[in-house]
Amino acid sequence: MSSSPLPGDATNAPVTDRTGRFVRQPNGRTRPLSPHLQIWRWHVTMAASILFRVTIGAISVAAVIAVGWLAALAFGPEAYAKVAACLGSPFGLFIGFGLTVVLFSFILNGARHLFNDTGNGLTLKSANLLSNIAVWAPIPLAVLFWVLLFATGRVSL
Amino acid sequence: MSGPAKFRNKVKISERHGSGEWLIERTALALLIPLGLWVLSTAFTLAGSSYDDLRVWFTGPLNAGLLIVTLLALFTFVSLAWKVIIEDYVHQPTTRTLLIGGLNLVFLALAAASVFFIVRLALGSAPLPAGIGA
Repeated sequence: MSSSPLPGDATNAPVTDRTGRFVRQPNGRTRPLSPHLQIWRWHVTMAASILFRVTIGAISVAAVIAVGWLAALAFGPEAYAKVAACLGSPFGLFIGFGLTVVLFSFILNGARHLFNDTGNGLTLKSANLLSNIAVWAPIPLAVLFWVLLFATGRVSL
Repeated sequence: MSGPAKFRNKVKISERHGSGEWLIERTALALLIPLGLWVLSTAFTLAGSSYDDLRVWFTGPLNAGLLIVTLLALFTFVSLAWKVIIEDYVHQPTTRTLLIGGLNLVFLALAAASVFFIVRLALGSAPLPAGIGA
């Protein structure tokens, strides 16, 4: 039996396929599923992959907030004062911190994705390393960013 | 209608437009990585600025230009990325088409609005809604 299944129409016995990715479709064919969260075994490469999709959702929300901020600026000082008060409130700063995590995550995970797309960094060791960086590094980086913001007096509670 | 499969380096290549969208998505992402770092450094320097200081920042052509490029690249990227995600998880053809089309419309409107606001700010225009009806 060949080691890798043929694309599209693999005849995978449950014994040989241990990924759980292959399901019998209503038309009787065996097809691989997209990475659904319920059936993937937890691993950092999988976490980085699914986290990038979550990040894309979050950065879409960030883009909406950015357009709202631009609109407030364009609508003049009174409109901007209201938005600035929202952003400067404790909840606004919390959202701001979240957006920084999202941006760091997008940059690091995006770089990992691009690097992997060129066919590099796909050995077990480097894939794990790159995924670990992409998953964990955004949090300390965002904390550092905000510590510096408070330390230089640009932001205060 | 698809002709015989085409091969490059003995690998079957996309027969129609799939690879084009893939390449646009990667190009936008490649642009967004340096631009994202620029956004972070800009956000750091601009944090806590007054309204007037922000208006001055927007009159710099490089600032306004880079911000427009960033947002256009971002909306291009998220629109294609959402398309891929929706195609993976939504199996009902009608729902899928409506979702992708609807999101594209939203992203297009947001991209147009952001360019409109940035151009006005860059030109130092009077606060809205001056100049449009009011």
